[in-house]
Amino acid sequence: MNLVILVIAVYIIWSVISALIDNPARYLPSPIAVAMSSVDMLYKGLLPSYFGDTLVRLIFGSAIGLILGIPFGLLLGINRTVADMFHPIMNFFQSVSGIAIFPIIVVWWGNSDKTIFAVILYTAFFPIAFNVLSGVREIPIRYISAARTLGASRYQIIKDVLFPGAMPHIATGSRLSIGFAWRAVIAGEMLAGRQGLGWMIFTGQDADNTAEVILGMVMIGVTWIILDHYLLRPMEADTIERWGLVQR
Amino acid sequence: MTAKLVVEGLSHHYPDEYTGIDVHALDDISLEVEEGELVSVVGPSGCGKSTLLNILAGLLPYRVGTATVDGIRIEGPGPDRGVVFQEHAILPWRTVNKNIGHGLEIKRMPRDQIAKRVQEFVNLVGLAGFEDKYPHELSGGMKQRCAVARTLCADPVIMLMDEPFAAVDAQTRITLQEELNRIAMATKKTILFITHSVDEAAFLADRCFVFSARPGRLKAIVDINIPRGDRIWSDMNANADFLAARDEILKLVREEVSVATEE
Repeated sequence: MNLVILVIAVYIIWSVISALIDNPARYLPSPIAVAMSSVDMLYKGLLPSYFGDTLVRLIFGSAIGLILGIPFGLLLGINRTVADMFHPIMNFFQSVSGIAIFPIIVVWWGNSDKTIFAVILYTAFFPIAFNVLSGVREIPIRYISAARTLGASRYQIIKDVLFPGAMPHIATGSRLSIGFAWRAVIAGEMLAGRQGLGWMIFTGQDADNTAEVILGMVMIGVTWIILDHYLLRPMEADTIERWGLVQR
Repeated sequence: MTAKLVVEGLSHHYPDEYTGIDVHALDDISLEVEEGELVSVVGPSGCGKSTLLNILAGLLPYRVGTATVDGIRIEGPGPDRGVVFQEHAILPWRTVNKNIGHGLEIKRMPRDQIAKRVQEFVNLVGLAGFEDKYPHELSGGMKQRCAVARTLCADPVIMLMDEPFAAVDAQTRITLQEELNRIAMATKKTILFITHSVDEAAFLADRCFVFSARPGRLKAIVDINIPRGDRIWSDMNANADFLAARDEILKLVREEVSVATEE
């Protein structure tokens, strides 16, 4: 209900501003104009194709980032000395955003799909690896000692203590990684792409088609809200709450 | 009677975590624990009780002296020595059942056999009905019962307990002590129980090892010949053997505490 009121309010304010300004088609097309442009884009088949390209990049990039980042964080975390050594390095890389490493990747590989993919992978990898490493470091030693005194091997300690113990951080880190990757996909497509939502926004501006630019922005935001609300947040809340690791 | 645990000439030094100054924690400790015996170790804080336990658990490497279980030198942790830790060390992401069966899972016992054995120990420690609960849903006393069941379920040669009831409230502690007595009677498990509570040491032990203040030395051994079946807290105030043993241990510990305070 609140959502409906909010959407209507935004629609009215947007429409009013758009009606009051000069040359709305250039500066702020009305919601209806944006909707018309989406119909036009749908008709041409460009919107589904761009959206699909972007989603595929996000899914592959962040999936591979997570698949590599989770074990990497776990392995670094096993040995406390190694973990302490790598912690600042990982913290460094997880703070240097994908957009900041873009230029150097372009120098290496030019404006290509490979470049975009590398940036998404980089963006997804470090937040998850850093979070998993932090998670492993925060596991109380007594849990590890308990498993060792039960005769657990190194592998069993990873499987039964470190992995589940780091699970809340894995959940949070995954959400962060996918969130950052989503931004990186758009930025990557704007800078080095030939298709996708980022590309659509970029070419929309070039072609003076502001409605298309806004359509792209709306698509990006709405996709993220759906992804976050229906997939990532429930996953995170579920692991954390079920184990009582966070008191609410 | 055969000795399950034999410690000979065990000494240990370590650098203090904060100051780096050398701490002489254990000095020439020799002791034996017989099969089926429950021994307690008491002493003032800093007497090396926990150091001893960590060495016996295999969590702390040692160089001077020997410690053997069934004649095999202790080198690192192993399932022959089960440990019940001071703080709740059961895994928060495993249910009661899964925690209790963890040792058997590690040994790769078939699932149906694990389930059968786990049920036995769930009943033994009185956790029936809580099998599928997670630790955060349990009271402090129940968590420690779960920890005891987890250790026993793996069937160690000896169970090492490191002040396991120190963190629970007084009422629960008394109940847990009586339950441990009952469990010791039922399982005939060899148990080494570390505590700073003289009452607890006297109530539970067949023999009580009293340690001196740092460096920890074995100061005296007090025998407590009370049949396990008679060990009920409500009867203890009228039990001359218990009172005598408690007073003797108390006197021995007090001497050490005053030495430690004078220093």
